[in-house]
Amino acid sequence: MEAMEIDSEKNLQRKHSTYNLLDERFEIQKEMYRGQQYSQIYFARLHMMRTLLYSLVPNWKPHLPVCTVLGLEKDKECIVVGTLYKHMKLKPCILDEYSKTRSTTPLVKPHNFVHPDDHLVLEDESGRVKLAGMLSPSVYVTGSIVGLHGKETDAGDFLVLDVLEAGLPPQIELPLKSREDKYVVFVSGLRVGSSSSNPLQFQLLVDHITGHLGDEKEQGIAAQIVHVVIAGNSIEVPRGLLNGQNLASKDQSRLSEPIKELDILLTQIAAGLPLDIMPGLDDPANFALPQQPLNRCLFPGSSAYNTFRSCTNPHCFDLDDIRFLGTSGQNIDDLEKYSEAKDKLEFVERTLRWRHLAPTAPNTLGCYPFTDRDPFLIESCPHVYFIGNQDKYDSRLVKGSEGQMVRLICIPKFCETGVAVVLNLGTLECHTLSFGTHFSSYQHGFQNVIKDLQ
Amino acid sequence: MKKGISRKRPALTQQPSPANPPKQHATSQEDEFLDEDVFLDETLFETEDDLILRDIEERQALASRLTKWARPSISHAYISASRSIAFQQLEIDYVIGESHRELLPNWSGSAAIIRIFGVTKEGHSVCCHVHGFEPYFYISCPPGMGPDDISRFHQILEGRMGEMNRNSKVPKFIRHIEMVQKRSIMYYQQQDSHPFLKIVVALPTMVASCRGILDRGIQIDGLGMKSFMTYESNVLFALRFMIDCNIVGGNWIEVPAGKYKTAKHSSYCQLEFDCLYSDLISHAPEGEFSKMAPFRILSFDIECAGRKGHFPEPTHDPVIQIANLVTLQGENEPFIRNVMTLKSCSPIVGVDVISFDTEREVLLAWRDLIREVDPDVIIGYNICKFDLPYLIERAETLGIAEFPILGRIKNSRVRVKDTTFSSRQYGTRESKEVTVEGRVQFDLLQAMQRDYKLSSYSLNSVSAHFLSEQKEDVHHSIISDLQNGNAETRRRLAVYCLKDAYLPQRLLDKLMYIYNYVEMARVTGVPISFLLSRGQSIKVLSQLLRKAKQKNLLIPNVKQAGSEQGKYEGATVLEAKAGFFEKPIATLDFASLYPSIMMAYNLCYCTLVTTEDAHKLNIPPEFVNKTPSGETFVKSNLQKGILPEILEELLAARKRAKADLKEAKDPLEKAVLDGRQLALKISANSVYGFTGATIGQLPCIEISSSVTSYGRQMIEHTKNLVKEKFTTLKGYEHNAEVIYGDTDSVMVQFGVSTVEAAMNLGREAAEYISGTFIKPIKLEFEKVYYPYLLISKKRYAGLLWTSPDKFDKMDTKGIETVRRDNCLLVKNLVNECLHKLLIDRDIPGAVQYVKNTISDLLMNRMDLSLLVITKGLTKTGDDYEVKAAHVELAERMRKRDAATAPNVGDRVPYVIIKAAKGAKAYEKSEDPIYVLENNIPIDPQYYLENQISKPLLRIFEPILKNASKELLHGSHTRSISISTPSNSGIMKFAKKQLTCVGCKALISNADRTLCSHCKGREAELYCKTVAHVSELETLFGRLWTQCQECQGSLHQDVLCTSRDCPIFYRRKKAQKDMAEAKVQLDRWSF
Repeated sequence: MEAMEIDSEKNLQRKHSTYNLLDERFEIQKEMYRGQQYSQIYFARLHMMRTLLYSLVPNWKPHLPVCTVLGLEKDKECIVVGTLYKHMKLKPCILDEYSKTRSTTPLVKPHNFVHPDDHLVLEDESGRVKLAGMLSPSVYVTGSIVGLHGKETDAGDFLVLDVLEAGLPPQIELPLKSREDKYVVFVSGLRVGSSSSNPLQFQLLVDHITGHLGDEKEQGIAAQIVHVVIAGNSIEVPRGLLNGQNLASKDQSRLSEPIKELDILLTQIAAGLPLDIMPGLDDPANFALPQQPLNRCLFPGSSAYNTFRSCTNPHCFDLDDIRFLGTSGQNIDDLEKYSEAKDKLEFVERTLRWRHLAPTAPNTLGCYPFTDRDPFLIESCPHVYFIGNQDKYDSRLVKGSEGQMVRLICIPKFCETGVAVVLNLGTLECHTLSFGTHFSSYQHGFQNVIKDLQ
Repeated sequence: MKKGISRKRPALTQQPSPANPPKQHATSQEDEFLDEDVFLDETLFETEDDLILRDIEERQALASRLTKWARPSISHAYISASRSIAFQQLEIDYVIGESHRELLPNWSGSAAIIRIFGVTKEGHSVCCHVHGFEPYFYISCPPGMGPDDISRFHQILEGRMGEMNRNSKVPKFIRHIEMVQKRSIMYYQQQDSHPFLKIVVALPTMVASCRGILDRGIQIDGLGMKSFMTYESNVLFALRFMIDCNIVGGNWIEVPAGKYKTAKHSSYCQLEFDCLYSDLISHAPEGEFSKMAPFRILSFDIECAGRKGHFPEPTHDPVIQIANLVTLQGENEPFIRNVMTLKSCSPIVGVDVISFDTEREVLLAWRDLIREVDPDVIIGYNICKFDLPYLIERAETLGIAEFPILGRIKNSRVRVKDTTFSSRQYGTRESKEVTVEGRVQFDLLQAMQRDYKLSSYSLNSVSAHFLSEQKEDVHHSIISDLQNGNAETRRRLAVYCLKDAYLPQRLLDKLMYIYNYVEMARVTGVPISFLLSRGQSIKVLSQLLRKAKQKNLLIPNVKQAGSEQGKYEGATVLEAKAGFFEKPIATLDFASLYPSIMMAYNLCYCTLVTTEDAHKLNIPPEFVNKTPSGETFVKSNLQKGILPEILEELLAARKRAKADLKEAKDPLEKAVLDGRQLALKISANSVYGFTGATIGQLPCIEISSSVTSYGRQMIEHTKNLVKEKFTTLKGYEHNAEVIYGDTDSVMVQFGVSTVEAAMNLGREAAEYISGTFIKPIKLEFEKVYYPYLLISKKRYAGLLWTSPDKFDKMDTKGIETVRRDNCLLVKNLVNECLHKLLIDRDIPGAVQYVKNTISDLLMNRMDLSLLVITKGLTKTGDDYEVKAAHVELAERMRKRDAATAPNVGDRVPYVIIKAAKGAKAYEKSEDPIYVLENNIPIDPQYYLENQISKPLLRIFEPILKNASKELLHGSHTRSISISTPSNSGIMKFAKKQLTCVGCKALISNADRTLCSHCKGREAELYCKTVAHVSELETLFGRLWTQCQECQGSLHQDVLCTSRDCPIFYRRKKAQKDMAEAKVQLDRWSF
């Protein structure tokens, strides 16, 4: 559909874009808990990735034989593909909560469980081998799949000489036509109902998006916003109330008030333009990835609009043939706990290179025990890859070896920073929208800072 | 205790044919094979080539294995016998054989030959035959018998022995009799010595029969019928040898060059020689000789394919896998890792997988491994009772006569014997005894049961406890399925089997068993094998015999008196002032109280003055001590006691070991020294027990009752002194109060409020009171409890401080934290309460916690795994006199499904369920899995009344006024929720209908989730449902990934059924709950 731009004195017409929802593989429909375990998802993952990596070997090191872990022979150089398992000293263990007598000093909960003694193990269906050599345990995590060039040593370890990662997946070509300025707004961590959320801030954001603020110029910009994505943690439900007991009426309202408030604001957006809402860690949704769409019964007002879409997390869609993929942040937060990188975007980039959205699932990140597939594999490279609920805004353009271009975005927590992220569909450039409600700027109603960080 | 320390074997028969029978067998098989070849079709020749090729490969593999397995080859100096041989001995036994013609030209007939097995520092195995040592014992010389009468006496005795042993071909029973001047150890005597007769017999067995004759009495001309008291007539022959040659367990022995004769090879040892016992040089374990030889330790485990519903039996079920790890003592990693499997098995990285087509080959391959690797120590978990007897009995069933040659002696078969081992300390245990000649067996299970009090001794929970490592537990009913699968499933089994062989080795290393046991053997002087297979008393006896020999004393063979000597008053316990003490409590401890008392008052067999003697001897009172229990002992200036001397040496040696330990740098040396000081401490403390053991070797109630009476006196004395001195009248801030005192400690509340002040006063008191005691009795101040919860005698809990800055730990005694017949809930509850009370100092918090827990229990929100009670099934139902819950359950489960029902030897976990009114407790037990699957309601009242109430009240009674009312009958006990069983009779007639999620009103199918009334609360009710799902998902993920972690594989399903594992039931429950919650959640998707 061709977006129209009718610029009249009084009526600003909002631009449109084509939207194609691609969440099907993240949906859990008929899948049930029937006693299946996690081995199957690992198997599916290894199977898919091994086919892929094997196809890359001829271009990488054609002279080397390819082995399974069992087929290793001492001192014979070869290539093995398998799932990494990281043995971690500090990894919290659920058994400790049971069997150990309570220690007198409380358990320290570090935000990162990496320890110098950690070591990696490579595993396939046939067996395991301990890895030595150049592979840094602080970078890799349990569940990622790599090809390794190396040889078995006297001690029975596998000495790694080189690593083959899957690299960026192939990308659909970026459409060249109609590269006009259209904007997509990303916001996450609204946390309506929490002590840190500021109702005014959110209202300002809504008013800005819907064009109820500022002068004509600003309204003109607002009219170019074609889509809003809310990437998780929109509501703060007082968890303590949900312990299975019946609620007193006072508590009932404490629970439903924030939900109502969110619904009202979302209704305002949905009345103006398409809106995708994804569940996050603290939303009233299931815990395990992929998180299923927030139930419509939570949004009696906004769900009446066909512009309102409750989506899964992870979430994938095409907008004007530009591929978007994103999560509410759990996958990257978990990587941060179990590995190290210079910044958050590096973690994000790694998941792309490993072609897997959430390698640590199911090991440390809750996930549904799929039996025949691994929905988190990234088969085609998105153009925009966004991660919600991060501490601060960050963005980078990553280029692949086959000309792939991906915009990586860390969306900050809105309730803490007052920052939303705006992406220009035409250029894939990114900037922030910052809403402050400090007293100094209160007279102006809001402060709209548009910074082009590129 | 009369069992011989070694099996008496018939004389080593000369090998008539040098060729090995098994080899012959193999070649004949090959011949047959070749004969058949001739008739093969041409077309088959190709495959035949392959076969030959494979055969060659296999031979090469075997050859390379053998070179890897073999011990280092011996140098020329050894072969030519031109150098002395020094080795660490591990095992000493004896055989009956022909006496050595060259070494003992004047001897004839059969004699006892001592065999010493050991390892040189280069790692060569040694078998040393020692000749010339003769068995003997003593009797007191009857008055009136002179040296001239001995030959007559000799004749009479020889005659009687001949009558007793008609079948024996020994030409001469009594070698000779001589008169010696010695003294009995019993009672103080003024004369230095009396005449005794030393009777030397031909063979060790004859000591007992000769003793029997002398006990019953013999007719002697001129003296009439006379029975004799025998001395040292029950000393095991090998121990006698060790004592006389000054050899202690596990020390180094040297045989100088030229003093030994290389022997014909009757054993598989690399160095085998004969020598005279007088030529042996025994090195004290000091300096260079305190080290350990690089002996080889084999850790192994077998798997058997049992039939459904039966525990594997060697008469039916094949051995399918044997995993072996061989480690050199002192090395971290095993140098041989292999697993022998029946049928093919996929390879395992770093492990030599050796597959065979028949069970016979598996067993023989293992025998070859033993022979080639030649391990000095064989370890494993439950090998003595299960693995080794199973292998041997299995080989017997299969008719593999050549299998059980596992020892170091050629052509000598290993046999299995049933034994019972009974000791006051360890109780009676039935066991199988398998003797593998020349190799020490060390069963980690036995060691664990001896040395540690644990709630469960399964390998899984023991390794979880010591190594913080879980292992997956494959139920024996699954093992057959895995074996009958393919090479992959068998590999799975092999990995499991290897882990079972690996964990004992890890435990051995972690707990420093080798060091500790070798040091214990060195300190007490007994062979290492005694330490596991015998009680405490042999250790003390060994020391006593050694010391007595030095002092020219003899130990009488007292007839087993049974318990008729009666009991004596034990240790004293001061009345406990129960309560919760919020001021620091200082603890004054007597350092090694009982040994110190024995030393201070010179209490010994040889210083005891009998009441008759007291009048007769007329010893001036300044030379005797009258003990509080009324016995008389002479002081050390008149006669020094042997026991005090042994104790002094032990404690001095411990002091030295501890000082050396501080100096030591080398971790291995440290390990040896630490093992030594520990062994010394244990030995010192067991001396008292030896004198008090009424069915022991040499009980002496006079000594033990004196010791305890002194102990009681000292505790009282300390209490009085504290009360007298630390008062406000004497210038102290507060009046001190003794709140409790046990065997060797006194708890004092000085009234001060800081830990530091209490420590200072504690030190002052200890020093002051120590000054009033005879040396070496010493009162020490060690620790302060603050706060301190004293419940009753021997039950208390408190925070322990040894420095004023920070408490060390929470110390509890006699409180339900580890009892194994309690459910986990009790342990958790008690722990958490103590934590809240003592560390957080939060009494209301603890009360609230208890209330919440009880409410959870009543409201059916309790995690089932916390409620599981486990008991061992030791015999079948009919054998139990009283009906027991776990036995009844096992019977019921057998009726349900014989395959998975627990067998004798298994532990039976159960929960108590709600049953009809008046049902007996044993009828209310149920399998937790069954309970989970069928929603059977548990009986919260049972848990409340029979499990948690007592321990809770114990803790809270000193703190709360009406604890019982407050905790067990408050408003939190009003609401109760019970789940509906899904399998009960009435449910079959019930129709399931949807109810509103909000108010449980019945609704039509059209409404799906909510009734019209609750429609408005949709969002809230949805949040509740989804929050429940979310919680379960979190748990599901964490539990199942943990199990993947334990089993060590991501790509394979978890099979583990370890009911000892704290998350086993949770994992099951999470799976089931998840499925249900998902269904509930799906009702909302519309």
